[in-house]
Amino acid sequence: MEQDFSHIRKRAVSLLSGCGCEYAEIRLSSGKGTAISLSGDQTDTVSSGETIGGSVRVLSDGALSFISFNDLSRIEYFFTRGLDVSGTMRPRRKTRIRSCKPVRKKFYTKQKKDICALSLEEKFNLISSYNSILKSSRLIQTTRAVYRDLRSVSVFLNTEGSEIIYDKAYCGISLASIARDGAVIQPFHDSFSGYGGFDLVENREAAAERVAKTAVDLLAAESAAGGVYRVVADQKLAGVFIHEAFGHLSEADFIYENERLKKIMVPGKRLGPEELTVIDDGTIPGLAGYIPCDDEGILPEKTRIINNGLLHARLHSRETAEKMGEAVTGNARAVGVANQPIVRMTNTYIENGSRDTREILEAAGDGIYAVGAIGGQTNLELFTFTSGYGYEIRDGKLGKMHKDIVLSGNVFSTLSNIDMIGNDRQMFGGLGGCGKEGQSPLPVSFGGPHILIKNVLIGGAP
Amino acid sequence: MEKTADRLSAKAGWFDIIEVSGTGTPLLFKNNRLHSVTESQNSGFGVRVSVNGKTGFSYTNDAACLDETADRAVAMSEFGDAEDFDLPDKTGTPFEPYDKRIHAYDIKLEIGKAEDAITAILRKFPAANIDCRVTGSHGGMRIVNSKGIDQTYARSRYAAYLSAMLIHDDGSKIEVWEGTSALAPVPYESLKEKIMYKLAKALKNKKIPSGKVTVVVSPKALARIIGIVTAGLNAESVWKGISPFAGKIGEPCFSADLTICDEPDRSGSPYSYPFDGEGVSARKKFLVKQGGIEKFVTDLKYARKLNLLPEGNGQRPYSALPRPSFSNMVIGGGAEPYAGMLGNIKLGILADQFIGLGQSNTLTGDFSTGLDLAYLIENGEITGRVKDCMLSDNLFKLLAGEIAVSSDREPVGSVLAPYILFPQVNYTS
Repeated sequence: MEQDFSHIRKRAVSLLSGCGCEYAEIRLSSGKGTAISLSGDQTDTVSSGETIGGSVRVLSDGALSFISFNDLSRIEYFFTRGLDVSGTMRPRRKTRIRSCKPVRKKFYTKQKKDICALSLEEKFNLISSYNSILKSSRLIQTTRAVYRDLRSVSVFLNTEGSEIIYDKAYCGISLASIARDGAVIQPFHDSFSGYGGFDLVENREAAAERVAKTAVDLLAAESAAGGVYRVVADQKLAGVFIHEAFGHLSEADFIYENERLKKIMVPGKRLGPEELTVIDDGTIPGLAGYIPCDDEGILPEKTRIINNGLLHARLHSRETAEKMGEAVTGNARAVGVANQPIVRMTNTYIENGSRDTREILEAAGDGIYAVGAIGGQTNLELFTFTSGYGYEIRDGKLGKMHKDIVLSGNVFSTLSNIDMIGNDRQMFGGLGGCGKEGQSPLPVSFGGPHILIKNVLIGGAP
Repeated sequence: MEKTADRLSAKAGWFDIIEVSGTGTPLLFKNNRLHSVTESQNSGFGVRVSVNGKTGFSYTNDAACLDETADRAVAMSEFGDAEDFDLPDKTGTPFEPYDKRIHAYDIKLEIGKAEDAITAILRKFPAANIDCRVTGSHGGMRIVNSKGIDQTYARSRYAAYLSAMLIHDDGSKIEVWEGTSALAPVPYESLKEKIMYKLAKALKNKKIPSGKVTVVVSPKALARIIGIVTAGLNAESVWKGISPFAGKIGEPCFSADLTICDEPDRSGSPYSYPFDGEGVSARKKFLVKQGGIEKFVTDLKYARKLNLLPEGNGQRPYSALPRPSFSNMVIGGGAEPYAGMLGNIKLGILADQFIGLGQSNTLTGDFSTGLDLAYLIENGEITGRVKDCMLSDNLFKLLAGEIAVSSDREPVGSVLAPYILFPQVNYTS
């Protein structure tokens, strides 16, 4: 992109160098995006838009202010407001943040097929072709096929002398079929996204076919009876499980000022079986949770949050790392330039274990095989997540199909109930993302191998 | 905007341009202390055009790029659907969801109010971790269209949100949240009182076995779960054949005790508006009246497709096309006060906060949700908290059966909701 804020950058550097406060940063961003949304035979949206924005974060005498704006011509005014607001706050307890070495780097997304070089017609034709597949059965009532891309340039500057420019390209698709047979209405969807070019979303015909077929198959599926089960989770559900059930709890802003939680979440505490290792790694290019640096100008790391079943580390921002006396991990992320960075996951997964899937199903005996994920939510103690569909397991073999499998449990007891870990890890992302403190959707990816969990509560009629 | 409108007159069959702007000042307390103060300024433009009967759309938040944005909207129309609805040629601003006292929002004063609330809760629950977010914001919305409309309204909003969390040594946790919103700063002592009451009642854990159980859904919980019903009262869902209420206008689908109204002109609500994002004057309407389906909310596009009367439900941010949306949702109250309803229950559950609601296939009314905060009712009294449990049932069937609706109602965001009692709901623990 042409916009690299060279003119405003000079003014921003001058503001930062003369501000005299403990810490300050300026973030600038400009982006251009395309959105196409089709449903059935209808075009819901074809749009393209451009946005610009900036923000200032100031820490002065322990008081933290954050100013966001889209009139970049008044950057001096907004920077001064940041200083003034900090001066007004006079907090009883002061905020401190970790100082870090400056980073002066340029990053860009490698694209095989540049999304900006393609015509709108090419994008429209691709998503139209998927939409045709999504509505391929007479039992499909309607569809929703969405294509989105975003090309943006963001600039990060701070009082430590960091200057980071990131020219990024993100694109993804979401494919949904809604089948209907009389009063039974059954949706199913899948989504793919990541940092890269148009090639990320090409050749997804098989996925569209699978979505349409699954929606139709689910029309005849029954809900599982409510109760407590041995559950085999596939790679995608295992990923959602670890994101929801433990990933959020490893975000240090939930812990750093909570004395009770600090006593519970002591490094070295046993949380799961010896074979369980959980990693958050923002450094994996292409995946939806990839970040070359976080929104506080820190380079990301591969962080083992659970290592061989023991609590190992947590995810940090500058503030939580300073408060807890631990190393920064590069996990301070904001959903956009107008939001404050908070501690977030990136690409989070369960590391491969040793078992193959057949072995795991056999070990399950009688239970449920839960496939895919619609979503999940946690309150740090309890979680629920919903699998896309599933099958009963009878004597280690797959039986009839089930719909609406909503699993719920206690984070700690469920982690300790992981009985077997597979060796076939896959990673997943999508156009949705993670939500926290009103910032949603933040691109993340998640994954794992097949896992077997004992004593999982599944909601439903008995 | 005028210059861009002139430019579009020569290129488009019709067009509208919306401008949305605002400033806000949220204060954030985390873990019992002031964490940060934010100021935000934002504005943006959305341009919608019809060229040869096809709709195109583009947006920007850079006023200097408005002409380019208009040209892009025209280019986009090549891929749009042929749509034959027309724009309104008159609208008005009979009221504004705005109170000039929003400008009395004072950072120091608000810090003091929040600190008082936190101190009061800590006095009773010294181990609590309390978060508080208080926001004062104001701005405006302007719409200009090719039919001669050029209307503006001002808006203001004050919102306070308070939550408290207690963690026991075994890792079990209670978190209670309450919020309020108004057009200008208001006291919010009642939030801390509610939170302290709910925390105190949740300290003791109770258990009951799985089975059918009487469930009272609080206004806060009802405001969330009613979304399963209202998703089907949307003209877009009806047109796409995924609403279970399509073709059922006038039919009784629910208990006669259930009434749901969409009230864009509700006095004092920051969720009210005089006209929608398409310039259509907004009017109050019954969606469900005494159990019968009355109307679907619609924008201009789906009003034309379904031959409905547009009544101001085409809402949109500047960066998207309008879609049928609700304004203030008002759920009718019943005859009996909540206290009396509770007093008559021998054994039941009071559900206040769900976790994971809406992740299942709710198009047919099915739901399966964890209970983030729920209480056991024994002999008319709340005796403790139930946890590690789920409610799973079909909301349409529950609402079509025997229900009791409380006379007292509480505002929860844009929803005004009563307590509703369902005699038998599937409970799993």
